[in-house]
Amino acid sequence: MFVRPLYIFASVGVMVLCTVFFLSILKRGAPERIPVAVVDHDQSSISRRLCHETNTTQSVQIVLITPDYAEARRAMQRGEVYGILDIPEGFYADLVSFKQPELHFYVNNAYTVGANTAYKQLLTMCNLTSGAFQREVLRKKGLPDYLIMERIQPVAISAHMIANPWSNYAIYLVSTILPGILSLVVLMLTIFAIGFELKMKTSHEWLDTAGGNYVVAMTGKLIPYTLLYIVLGVGCNVILFRFMHFPVLGSSWRLVGGTILLILAMESMAVTLIGLLPTLRDAISIGALYGMLGFSLSGFTYPVMNMLPVFQAWTWLIPLRHYYLIYVNEALMAGSIMNTFIPAACLMAFFPLALLVSPRLHNALIYQNYPLK
Amino acid sequence: MRITRFLYKEWQKVKETWWVFDQEIRRIFRDPGVIVIFFVATIAYPILYNFIYWKDNIENVPVAVVDRSNSPESRSFLHRWNASPDITLTHYCTSMAEAERLLRDQKVHGIIYFPEDFAVHLNTGMQTAHISLYCDMSSFLYMKAIYLSCNKVMLEDMTNIQIDRYEAMGYDHQFAWQLVQAAPYTETALFCESGGYASFLIPAVLMLILHQTLFFGICMLGGTAREENKELFLLPGHRRGYSVIRITAGRSLAYFVIYMALGVFVLLAVPRMFGLPHIGNPIDIMKLLVPYLLATIFFSMSVSVFIRNRESGMVLLIATSLIFIFIAGVSWPQQMLPDEWRYLSYFFPYTWGVHGFIHINSMGATLAGTAKEYIALWILAGGYFITNCALLGISGYLHDHRKTSIA
Repeated sequence: MFVRPLYIFASVGVMVLCTVFFLSILKRGAPERIPVAVVDHDQSSISRRLCHETNTTQSVQIVLITPDYAEARRAMQRGEVYGILDIPEGFYADLVSFKQPELHFYVNNAYTVGANTAYKQLLTMCNLTSGAFQREVLRKKGLPDYLIMERIQPVAISAHMIANPWSNYAIYLVSTILPGILSLVVLMLTIFAIGFELKMKTSHEWLDTAGGNYVVAMTGKLIPYTLLYIVLGVGCNVILFRFMHFPVLGSSWRLVGGTILLILAMESMAVTLIGLLPTLRDAISIGALYGMLGFSLSGFTYPVMNMLPVFQAWTWLIPLRHYYLIYVNEALMAGSIMNTFIPAACLMAFFPLALLVSPRLHNALIYQNYPLK
Repeated sequence: MRITRFLYKEWQKVKETWWVFDQEIRRIFRDPGVIVIFFVATIAYPILYNFIYWKDNIENVPVAVVDRSNSPESRSFLHRWNASPDITLTHYCTSMAEAERLLRDQKVHGIIYFPEDFAVHLNTGMQTAHISLYCDMSSFLYMKAIYLSCNKVMLEDMTNIQIDRYEAMGYDHQFAWQLVQAAPYTETALFCESGGYASFLIPAVLMLILHQTLFFGICMLGGTAREENKELFLLPGHRRGYSVIRITAGRSLAYFVIYMALGVFVLLAVPRMFGLPHIGNPIDIMKLLVPYLLATIFFSMSVSVFIRNRESGMVLLIATSLIFIFIAGVSWPQQMLPDEWRYLSYFFPYTWGVHGFIHINSMGATLAGTAKEYIALWILAGGYFITNCALLGISGYLHDHRKTSIA
């Protein structure tokens, strides 16, 4: 393991790089100061005030004020702004004469996160415009402020975002992406470690070291790797949930247990793949195809309940999916312990797979009868 | 005489490039591993991803109701909310504890709670009536579906209540309407009207598939050449004394020809097959594809110089797929990237390629409208061409040097 630098680079190196990368790239958590444009046909004191007030919000900033809609649209098509607020000509005059001038806003749905942020803020600003106007009219009519507020906002929604009240993207994404990358590393490296013996025709030496016993040989080979992966996995957990203070409402020990089960399940899957396809390059290619789909099929961005039934079935074959369920239950929901045990049992169900292919892999190690190139 | 000699020399160079091209094409089609990556993965992945994200938008997120107010007002609110496609009210609970258990067990992904005094506050008009919403944050798409649809119903409700109150104050309906809707607004979602997840993500994934299959395929060819090392096959014409420029040109031409064909399928056919946004001009997309492929090919060839084994490239670099998609600023807005990562991202062809493609394909920009990305890709293509020639030159020199010293 330590002879070839590849093993250390591909495990420790990749995990350190990815941890630093994802935590630093998402360090601001929620999108803020998203650039938007204002098309100000009116150029009045009211339209300028609307711009000012939009600009003082945390989530958007105005980077372009122009009287020309086409210019704003081109800026959007260059990806420079995520939303456009269009203030019509005569907005001020129409507003004060009760002619109900109409505001328009546009968001760029080709970039979802930016568009959502801009959408929420522009929607709020448009609603506040009518509200501010009502307040002024009612004040002139002599109503006290506490009654005015009731008329402007009779109903309010207070949203509670459980376990992640900041809607922090780092908490949402990194806690699944990092274990996902670890599981991918485990899969690829385990396939490589076993497959390389076949490719280099050193499997006889390997078996001889273990006294010709397949189980001893396999266990002996995988133990150092497993320890390394567990150190990496638990290290990731410590960084995320201890140093970065990502929320854990349930038990962090069970979460660590989930990480270890994920690693073991992924190792079994790797042994299964190289057992089914005892040629390094085939197993690596299939492993990469299977591993990359894990991120989508784990359902941490796009929910599994919305996938087609055939893919819903497929998600059972993805260890990351079961880990994600454990994570949701232990970190975010603190639900019944059964919600952790069932996915944990699913992860354990991957272990016997490796035993099923062992006769085939054992033969491959002895006879080396598969193509090498 | 001098001209014919010049022409003859140039013709020899073309022939040499052609020979390298021919050799590389043979190597690609003789190698089942490369065929799997170049052809099978490039064709299968776009189709698979489209099927995974088939429904585009998420629909009917289950939500639990705790209606302590139990009034006509709260029921009318729930009726209208339930009619929105985003959510379904699946459980009517009598207590928060019951609803909370459902949420913790992931039977529902949100709870809406009406307090006892909801209708009282609405009808007396002395205090704001509150609705509480509890969202599952395990996927932000749940939160988005629940929160936005609830907000829309609330805003509509509010307009009606406001008008009622002004009428109660003695204003006539017309005046109340003008007051409440002093500045009405319209909202327009541009480019992907549905605002769906697939129509946003898959165009970026399509460009990534082209990039990564080229990247891994070229790394695999490079690693294989290193392993065989018979005739220093990393430089197929090296033995014959061909210059690195002609070797690089010949090899890259082979990848380029194959990927122009695959690009037509991935970038033009797939969006039309699966109803993804495709409002761009196909010719502009092909024009963008030329520098994108060249930059990606030379970038991958430069990286492949360092790959020693056929498979090690994939083992080492598999995580780059996620890094590329994040550092390019597709899912996370580019303006939100920390500066140091953003500057680094400018060196990757994917960063420019994906934005160029989204601008043209999804947002209907012309090639001139995305000139920045187009020019940057040409610069990267030139830069990595020079890098690759330099790296090959150095490694060829080192190789010869070692040989002579051993001999």
